[in-house]
Amino acid sequence: MVNPVHIVSIGLAAAFLMSLAGKRQQNILAYFLMIAVGAMSFISLQWLMEIYSGGAGREVFTAGFKPPFAINLRMTMDEAVLTSIINIFGLFSIIYLFDTFKKANNHLLSIFIIYLMGLNVMVMTRDLFNLFVFLEIVAIATAGMMIMSSDKKGISAGFKFLIASSVISGLLLLGTLFGYTYTGTLNIDMMQALPLIKGGAVALFLIVVALVLETKPFPANGWALDLYTSANHGVGAMLSVLSAPAIMFVVYKMLPVIPQDWQLVISFFGIITFAASNYLAIRQENIRRMLGYSSVAQGGLLLATVGLADYLGGSFYFVALGFLLTNLFAKAGLFWLGGIVNSDNMNKWGILRKKPVLLLLFGIFAAALAGLPPFPAFFAKWELVMQLGAGEGWGWIAIMLIGSLFEIAFLFKWVGRVFKAENEENAPANFAMHKQIPALLLGAGIIAASYFFIDYLNFNLTFVLIPLLAIAAFFVIDYAPAFIKNILLIGALSFYGYMIYPELQGDIMKLVFAGIFLIGGVLTLFPGFSAKGARKGFYPFAAMTIFGLLMLVNPADNLTFFMGWELMALGSFILILRGKMAEKPAFRYMLFSAGGAYVMMAAFAMLNNISGAEFFGNINIPANTAGIIFALLAIAFMLKAAAIGLHIWLPGAYAEAEDDATPLVSGVLINSGVLGLVLLVTSFGPQTLFGYDILHIMGWIGAITAIGGNMLAIYEEDMKRLIAYSSVGAMGYIIFALAINTKLGLLIALYYTILHFIYKTMLFISAAGVMHRTKTRNMYEMGGLIKSMPLSFIVVLIGIITLAGMPPLAGFAGKWMFYNAIILKEWYIQGAMIFFSGIVAFLYLYKLISSVFLGQLKDNHRKVKEAPFYYIIPQLILVMAIMVLSVQPQWLMQPLSTIIPASFAGEALQWDGNLATLSTGYWNAFTIMSVVMAMFGILFLWLVYHSRKAQKVKQFNIVFAAEKPFRPETTHVSYNIFAAYKKALGWMVTPLATRFWERLSDIFTAIADKFRTWYTGNGQTYALHLLIYAFILYIAISGGKLL
Amino acid sequence: MSIDWMKLLFALLGLFIVLNYGLLQYGIIRRITARIGKRIGMPVYQPYIDLIKNYAMRSQITHGVMYYLGPVFRLAGGVGVFMFMPLIFGSELWSNYSFSGDVILILYFIFFGMLGMALGASEGGHPYSFIGISRGLSQFTTVEVPFTLAVIAIAAQSGSFSITEIVAAQQGGIENWNIIANPFAGAAGLLAFLGMMMAAPFNVVQAPTEIPIGPPTEYHGTYLGMLQTNRAVLYIAEAILMVNLFFGGATNWVELLLKVFMVSMWPVFVGLVFPRFRIDQSIPWFLKIPLILGIIGIFMI
Repeated sequence: MVNPVHIVSIGLAAAFLMSLAGKRQQNILAYFLMIAVGAMSFISLQWLMEIYSGGAGREVFTAGFKPPFAINLRMTMDEAVLTSIINIFGLFSIIYLFDTFKKANNHLLSIFIIYLMGLNVMVMTRDLFNLFVFLEIVAIATAGMMIMSSDKKGISAGFKFLIASSVISGLLLLGTLFGYTYTGTLNIDMMQALPLIKGGAVALFLIVVALVLETKPFPANGWALDLYTSANHGVGAMLSVLSAPAIMFVVYKMLPVIPQDWQLVISFFGIITFAASNYLAIRQENIRRMLGYSSVAQGGLLLATVGLADYLGGSFYFVALGFLLTNLFAKAGLFWLGGIVNSDNMNKWGILRKKPVLLLLFGIFAAALAGLPPFPAFFAKWELVMQLGAGEGWGWIAIMLIGSLFEIAFLFKWVGRVFKAENEENAPANFAMHKQIPALLLGAGIIAASYFFIDYLNFNLTFVLIPLLAIAAFFVIDYAPAFIKNILLIGALSFYGYMIYPELQGDIMKLVFAGIFLIGGVLTLFPGFSAKGARKGFYPFAAMTIFGLLMLVNPADNLTFFMGWELMALGSFILILRGKMAEKPAFRYMLFSAGGAYVMMAAFAMLNNISGAEFFGNINIPANTAGIIFALLAIAFMLKAAAIGLHIWLPGAYAEAEDDATPLVSGVLINSGVLGLVLLVTSFGPQTLFGYDILHIMGWIGAITAIGGNMLAIYEEDMKRLIAYSSVGAMGYIIFALAINTKLGLLIALYYTILHFIYKTMLFISAAGVMHRTKTRNMYEMGGLIKSMPLSFIVVLIGIITLAGMPPLAGFAGKWMFYNAIILKEWYIQGAMIFFSGIVAFLYLYKLISSVFLGQLKDNHRKVKEAPFYYIIPQLILVMAIMVLSVQPQWLMQPLSTIIPASFAGEALQWDGNLATLSTGYWNAFTIMSVVMAMFGILFLWLVYHSRKAQKVKQFNIVFAAEKPFRPETTHVSYNIFAAYKKALGWMVTPLATRFWERLSDIFTAIADKFRTWYTGNGQTYALHLLIYAFILYIAISGGKLL
Repeated sequence: MSIDWMKLLFALLGLFIVLNYGLLQYGIIRRITARIGKRIGMPVYQPYIDLIKNYAMRSQITHGVMYYLGPVFRLAGGVGVFMFMPLIFGSELWSNYSFSGDVILILYFIFFGMLGMALGASEGGHPYSFIGISRGLSQFTTVEVPFTLAVIAIAAQSGSFSITEIVAAQQGGIENWNIIANPFAGAAGLLAFLGMMMAAPFNVVQAPTEIPIGPPTEYHGTYLGMLQTNRAVLYIAEAILMVNLFFGGATNWVELLLKVFMVSMWPVFVGLVFPRFRIDQSIPWFLKIPLILGIIGIFMI
C-alpha cells in the first residue's frame, strides 16, 4: 500500500516542478498534471479498495513522532471515500478544462494541483493548526483559480473571497490559539475536553463559527455567491462538489469536540441555509448564480446532515452519502453542462436539444438534484424526514420541505426553458468532446449511485424493480421507431398485467386500480400507432408515468408508494411539457405536484411514528386519532384530484399536453388521487381536526369542486380545456361521495371512478382524433363534423349521455345512488349542490357536441376524414364497456360492494336480479333500457313511415327570414354561446383561486427580490455579514452565556 | 324477459287518454288566454287539426341523421316520463312501468328528450335553434335547483324516492298533502314548475316574436307533429308528477284529471299576469326566492 502521505508529496512535487517548467511546453505540462493527479487518485482509490474489502486504515505520523508532538494524517473509510472523490473529480476536471489548461500559463497548473492537495490534507489531517494552514492554502489556490476567467468580475470576486477568508481564518486562528492554550494540544482527537474547561467553550466557539462560516451559510455568503457567479464553470463545479464537502467533513471531524446542543443549532442553521438559498434562487435568471445558490443550499443540507450525525446514528451514512453523491454528480454535471452551453442566459440553453444525450443528461441531473426518484437524494431525503419525524422535528421538516419546493421551482423552471426556449437559426452545436465525456461520466455515476441505493433498500422485485427496469429499457431503446416502441410498451404493460394478476387476485380494490392504470395505459397508447418518426422522448416518460402509477397499486411500504407517486409526477410532467405551448402549464403542474408530494411526505413522517413504514392503505387507524395526518394526506390527494382551489394547474396541463398524451395524463392519471383518497378513507375512517369532522369539510369541498369545475367548463372555447374542467367537476363528485363515508358513498366513489375513467378517456381520445383532423382546438372553428366523423360523434354522444347521468346509460346509476346516499346521510344542501352541478354539466356537454359535430360545416373542413383507425379502436372498446354497464350494472357493482369494509356505516345496495333496491328507492337498469329501446324503436318506425320521402337538403337550405346565410362562420352559433348565463351567473367563476396563487407567487418572488439586495457585492459589507453571523450564532448557541 | 301484455295494454290505454286530454287541455288553455286578452281564440279542437295536418304534410326534408332522430328522442322522452309514472294510487294496472325506477328516474328522463331535441335542432344548423337551445338549457339548470330541493325534502319526509310511497304518505286527507305538510317545499316546487312548463314569464326559450319558436325552428311536417304530440303528453305527465308529489296523488281518473287541470292552470294564470323575463333575468330568479323556499323546505323536515 502506498502511504497516503504521498498524495501530498506528489501534489507538492508536481506543483514545484511545473512552476520551474516555464511557458513553452504547456501541452506537455497539461498531460503531466493529469498524470500527477492520476497518481493521487490511484493512491486514494487503492485505500478505498483496501478498506472496502476489510483492510484496516492507516494513521500516518509525519516527522516520525506521535501526536501531540507531530501532525498525524488519517486514512479510514471516510477519508478514503472523500479523497477518492476529490482526486478523481480533479482528474475529470482536468479533462474538462483541458483547453483552458493548455492555454493558461504554468502557474495555473501549479495552483490547481495545490488546491487538490490542500483539500486532501484538509480531509486527512487530525491537527487543528495544520487544518488552518491548509484551509488557507486552499483559499489562496481558489482565489488563484479565479484568474482563469480573467475578467474584472472574476478578479474582484476572488478578492472579496480573500477578504472573507481572512476574516474567517482570523477567527479560526484565534480559536486554535486559545484551544491550544487550554488543552496543550492541537490534535483534534485530544481536544475532547475543550468545552469543559473554563473558557474553553469560547475557544471552541471561535473554531466552530469559523468552520460554519466556511460552509457559506445563509445569509453570510455573498462572497461565495459572487465567486460562483464569476468562476469558470469547471472551477464552480469544484468549489461546489469538492471544497464544500471537504469543509463539511472538517465539521464532521470536529463533532466529538462540539457539544450536542451546539450540533443541533449548527444543523438547524444548515437547514435554514438550504431553504433560504433555494428560495432566493427562484428569482435568479443568471444560470451560474442560480447554480451558486443551489450549491450553497446543498451545502446547507449537508451541514444539517453532519450536525445531525449523532442523532441519525445508523442512518447517517445513508443520508449523507445520498446528498453527497447527488451533489457530486448532479451539481457538477449541471456546472459542466453550463460550460458546454457556455451561456448564463437560460434562453440560450435550448441548444442542448440539438444533442439528445446532453438533454437527457441535463434532465437526469436536474431530477437528481431536485430529489426525485430513483436518484439517491430522493431516498436520502425520505430517510432524513422520517428520522426527523421520529424525533418530532416538525419545524425542521417543514423548513426542509419548503426549501425543497423552492428547489423544484427554480430547477423545473429551468428544465422547462431548456425544453422550450427557441433556438437561434443555425446556432452551432458542436460541443467539444473533452467536455462532453466527463459530463457523460457524471451521468453514469449518478445512475450507478441510484442503482446502489435501490439495491440497498431491497425493494420488491415484481412491484418495484421490474417497473424501474422497464422504464430504463425505454430510455435505452428510444432511438427505435415510434411504432415499434408503441408495440413494445403495450406488450410490456400487457405482460406486466399478466404477471401481477396472480398476486392481486382476490383483492378487488387493487385489481380495480391496476386495471384502470393498465387498461387505461394500453388504450391511450393506441392512437400512438398513427404517429410518424421516432417520437423521441415520449415513450420513456409514458412508461415512467404508467409504471409509476402501477407502483401505487400494491406497495409494500409508504416509501414505495411515494416513489411511484413521484415517478408518475415526473413522467407526466415531461409528457405535458412536450406540448407546443406547455412550458408554463407544465411548470405549474410540477410545482403543485411537488407541493402535494411534500405535504404527503410530512404526513408519512407523522404516520411513521404511529404505524411504522407499513403502507398506509393496509393499516387501520382508530377514528379520531390522526386528524392532522388525515388532513395532510387528504390535501395531497385532493391536489392530484384537482379539488377546487387546488385545481388551477389542471386545465393548462391537460390542454397543452400533446393531444394523444392528454388521455393518459388526464383520464388515467387523475385516478391516482382517487386511489389515495379511497385508501385514506378506508384505512383511517372519520377523523377530526381541531374538533371539526374532516370528512364533513371534504364533503363541502367536493360539492364546491363539482359546481366550480362544471361552471368553469361551460365558458371554455377550447375543447381540451372544457373536458379538463369537466374532470375537475367529476373529481368533485368522487370527493363528495367519499366524504359521505357510508357503504353507499364508497360504492358511488368506486363506481364513479371507473365510469369517469371510461367516459373521460373516451372523450379525450375522441377529441384527440377530431383535433388531429381539424388542426384546431377551438370548438367555434369546427362544426358540422357529424357527416365526416360519424363514429367520433357517436362516441361523444354516448360519452356525454353517460356523463350527464341520463337514463338509460350507465351514468344514471351514479346519479340514482347519489340521491339515495344524501337522503340517507342527510346532507341535503351539499347534495343539492351536487345535483345542480350535474345539470350545469348539460350546458358544456351540449356545447361540446353541438359546436363540434352539429351546426354548420366550415369550408376548410369539407375534406376532413374520420379519425384514424387507431384512435377509433380504443373508443369503441370503451363504448362497449359503457353499454354493458348500462344494461347490467350489477356485474360491476356487486364485486365492488364486496370490497367495502363491513365497518362502514349505512345500508348496502341490495340486488335482486337486475333490480337494485335501498330502503329509499329502487331502480332496474334492464327494464329501463328495454322500455326506452322499445319506445324509441316504435317511434322511429312511425317517423320513418311518415317521412319516407324526406329529402336530404344542402347545408344552407334553412328557414332564414329575408336573408341568405352566405358563410358557415356567420351562421354557426358557438362562440360564447352561453353569454346570457355568464351575465347571470358569471360571478360564480371569478378566478379566486388563480388570483390567490398568482398573488402568493408574486409576493414570494417580490420578497426574494428584496432579500437579494442584501448581497451588495461589496467586500466590506460581506466581511461585516460574517461578523454579524458569528454574533447571531453565538447568541443561538449559548444564549450569550459563554463569557 | 316475459312481457306483461295486460300491463302494456293499460299503459297504452293510459297514454291514449293522456294524449287526448293533453290536446284538449291545450285547446282550452289557448281559449282561456284568448278570452282574457279579449280575443275569441281558436276552437278547442284546433290542436287536433294541427296534429292531423302536420302528420299529413307532403313535403319533407332532412338535414341529417341527428336532425331526423331529434323528434324521436323528444317524443320518446315525453312518453318515457309518462311510462315510468304511476297514475292511479292503489292500482297495479294503472301504475305503468313505475317498477323500473323511482322519481329520480323521471327527473333524469326529462333530460333525455331535451338533449335529443337539442342535438336534432342543432344539426338543422339554424342560428335560432342554437339560441333557443342555449336559453332553454341555461334556464333549466336553475329551474332544477328549487325543484330538486323540493323533491329531496319530500323524499326525506316520506323516507323514499318511490312515487307510490310518496303518494301513500299523503293519503288520509288534505292535511297530509305535501303542499300543506311542507308548504315551503311545495312552494319551491310550484315556482320551479313554472319554469318547467316554460310558460310566461319563462317562455323566452321559444320566444315567438324574436326567435320564431326557438329550437324547433327547422322542424315541420311529421317532425312537428311528433313535437306537438310530445307537448301534449309531456305537459300532462309533468303535471301528474306535481300531483303525485305535492297534491296527494289520485285514486281514480276523474280525481287525477281534475287535479292535473288545476295544476296546469297555475302557470297559465301566472303567465297571463306577468310579462316575459329576459334570459339573464330568469336564470338568477330561480336562485333567489324559490331557492330560499327550497332550503327552508329542507329544514322543515
